[in-house]
Amino acid sequence: MQKNSKLLLIILIPLLIVLNGCWDSRELNTLAIVSCLGIDKAEEPGKIQITAQIIKPGEIKAPQAGGGGGGKKPYWNITTTGETVFDTIREFTHESNRKLYLPHNEALIFSQDIAREGVEKYVDFFVRDPESRRLTKVLISKGKANEIIDSETELEKIPGINISQLVDKSVATSEASDVNLQEFFTRLMSKTTAPVASVIEVSDQGKEKIARLSGTAVFKTDKLVGYLNKAETRGLLWVIDKVKSGIIVVKSPSGEGKVSLEIIRASSKITTEIKDNNEPYITVHIDEEGNLGDQMSPEDDLTISPVWRSLERSQADVIHQEVMAALKKAQELNSDIFGFGDAVHRKYPELWGEMEKQWDQYFPNLEVEVIVNAKLRRTGLIKKPPEQE
Amino acid sequence: MLRSILKKIHFWQALNQTIKRQGDNSQELSPSNLSDNIQENLKHLQTILGTSSDIVVREFNFGYEGKIEAAIIYLTGMTSSAIVNDSIIKPLMYDTRLFSSNELLVTNNIELIQKTMLSVGGVKRVSTIELLIDGCLYGDTVLLVNGSQEALVISTVGWEARSVEEPKTEGVVRGPREGFTETLGTNTALLRRKIRNPNFTFETMQIGQKTKTGVRIAYLKELVNPRLVEEVKRRLKRINTDAILESGYIEQYIEDAPFSPFQTVGNCEKPDVVAAKLLEGRVAILVDGTPMVLTIPLFFIESFQSAEDYYSRPYYASMVRSLRYLAFLITILAPAAYVALTNFHQEMIPTPLLFTMAAAKEGTPFPAVTEALGMGLIFEILREAGVRLPRPVGSAITIVGALVIGESAVSAGLIGAPMVIVVGITAISSFVVPPQADAGAILRLLFTIFAGFLGAFGMMIVLLGILIHLSSLRSFGTPYLSPLAPLSLEGLKDTFIRVPLWAMFTRPRIFSGHDPQKQEFRLMPEPPSEDSENR
Repeated sequence: MQKNSKLLLIILIPLLIVLNGCWDSRELNTLAIVSCLGIDKAEEPGKIQITAQIIKPGEIKAPQAGGGGGGKKPYWNITTTGETVFDTIREFTHESNRKLYLPHNEALIFSQDIAREGVEKYVDFFVRDPESRRLTKVLISKGKANEIIDSETELEKIPGINISQLVDKSVATSEASDVNLQEFFTRLMSKTTAPVASVIEVSDQGKEKIARLSGTAVFKTDKLVGYLNKAETRGLLWVIDKVKSGIIVVKSPSGEGKVSLEIIRASSKITTEIKDNNEPYITVHIDEEGNLGDQMSPEDDLTISPVWRSLERSQADVIHQEVMAALKKAQELNSDIFGFGDAVHRKYPELWGEMEKQWDQYFPNLEVEVIVNAKLRRTGLIKKPPEQE
Repeated sequence: MLRSILKKIHFWQALNQTIKRQGDNSQELSPSNLSDNIQENLKHLQTILGTSSDIVVREFNFGYEGKIEAAIIYLTGMTSSAIVNDSIIKPLMYDTRLFSSNELLVTNNIELIQKTMLSVGGVKRVSTIELLIDGCLYGDTVLLVNGSQEALVISTVGWEARSVEEPKTEGVVRGPREGFTETLGTNTALLRRKIRNPNFTFETMQIGQKTKTGVRIAYLKELVNPRLVEEVKRRLKRINTDAILESGYIEQYIEDAPFSPFQTVGNCEKPDVVAAKLLEGRVAILVDGTPMVLTIPLFFIESFQSAEDYYSRPYYASMVRSLRYLAFLITILAPAAYVALTNFHQEMIPTPLLFTMAAAKEGTPFPAVTEALGMGLIFEILREAGVRLPRPVGSAITIVGALVIGESAVSAGLIGAPMVIVVGITAISSFVVPPQADAGAILRLLFTIFAGFLGAFGMMIVLLGILIHLSSLRSFGTPYLSPLAPLSLEGLKDTFIRVPLWAMFTRPRIFSGHDPQKQEFRLMPEPPSEDSENR
């Protein structure tokens, strides 16, 4: 018995290695590394048009002293149409000798048309396919998605990376929502919380077409229903606790100029309560700390206590206005982008069963109280404007 | 597995071999006593030793009126002619005539000669031809006196030997520079000079039917586990072979895991290192004719320890120690990891790095595995050539190697530049842990092949296999992975880091069970307290 099992092991272990073959082994020079995908409606009705941006590694190398480089674009934008997303992705193999390699895809751009029609069936492939990454940014283009992909970049060599980093760097202003596929998908799965995504458009600055972020796209279930502008976007981010930094411009206490306040820290908390009339009542607490960033007003010292307090107050007012603007827009569109429904669900699971079905009726008239506690901390390296020292 | 196959082969060979071996033995001399006739003895000797031209037989007469016939026999080159001339021939031939009236000197009483006439340290009386020949072949001088059934073997060993030099391997910046030599006596003395302790014991054996190589087992009687010494002796006695030319021969006959890529017997060229190991309760085996001394038992982690770790201060020593572990991991894993990443797990590479790697791969003809194996092969060839080549040609290898591997292969587009970097780092890392360099090269190959087939999954298979193998290995009854498995917290003080010497209280507990403590507690140096300053 033992002898036989040993013999078996001798036979089986090499088989384990050999029979696998070079399973899934792909050399780097057989990959078409995709940095960016754009999904549009094809001109032929019912069909999909996908634009892929494929990296050309040979061109990306820094030009060597003796030549090379040659000023060619280090990427190749290729467009194909097909019946379904997967079908279209495979369709690329007719034109590209290498198979599309999705794990390094930085951005997934849906055109406005697609988004209005309902984005769920297009997202399906990207969350189902093991090769696709959930950290891919999701963006909505105002025009056609392939125009965004064709846009120029100056600092980055690859537009796809440029787009992804634009979204990353939006932290500096907190005026665009940094949404990746995972977050988008999670919101899509929620019964009440609606997905959002950053909006990207091509702005013609002189001759060059440059991609720029502008606000946020608001969905209702999986359909695009409207847009938030920059201030409204920050209003949304205040509530969902995603503001990291940014500049708040307020009027100076004398009313003769402007003062910028830099957001240093911010946090928010949503609390819910069911009132006697069975209506949910939402309270949003926002704590914010800021620094005096610049002063373009005639006051000679903003740090005197009453002046400083009034700056803090106007800072809180701006935040309050931004949140209320976002709330108003969301209630107009009847799209719970803040996740108030999920907050109620967490607090009152036993009541939620009934409320969930009627959330669409509750939300537009939801009573929301916003309490802003804004503080100002430091003044930077100087206290008073320079000329008055 | 291999063991059982080999056992079967042994079974088939068993009969033939025993017959052959017995035949060999029957040719060996049966012990024969000396006769009291010197001519007969000389004749007998000559039939055994033959007419080899390095044998010197010097017949002479001595004593009152030169009446006693005598002869000395020695091998030229093995003996010191000064001792032979001044301490044997001169006292016998010249001094005995001065005291011509002394009647005692007419005697052929060999005991008297030994006691009164020879001014040499080591003199033995022997009565068989075999012992006599043994002595002669070892470099001693044999004195035969007519009328005596005994002969004297006089220690006159003196041959040209390499002096004590700094060893080529195991160089240190700080620490003793002396290394063992090819002479057993010198090596013994080097160790004895480090450990002046009556407990320090050498036991001598002769191994090798034909070579009669001197082998010495060294240990400290009070520290060593007696069963370990017994086991070492038992294994050494088992060796029944023609020749022992280097300690590596012994190592291969006594090691625990002959099929393992890992060595389970340590070797070392520096007396201070061997002394330190003896003081931990280990056993050393010194072999005549080689500077490499074996130490037993061996732990895996000993490969990562260097003498200098203990001579320099602990912070840097600990850092360097950790670096060695890292370098070992790099040397066995780097090419495999590169192959696995580029062929299977491209999604794990950061995007900008992937672009760079893909750019380098663009246009190269071979798969990554082939690149890795090929470059590894070329490196091994270059290394081997560098070791064997005569020194003046060495620079040629460096230039050709650097050009072929580094520059041309990349610019010709045969191999991607990152692969050259990976293989280069691997090569350099392999020299950081010299004791494991052999095992490292084999493991690297294994890892690379498996990574080529199965990616990180394949690497994991090999890694787990090696871990299982390592933890099952034993060196003379001691777990090879000790003190990591079985875990010993005391032992960890000298594993990945090296704590200050005053904080290491014990010898490795695993084989020095009865007296593990090696120093006082609280030896940490302190500035004098204020009380004592005031005093």
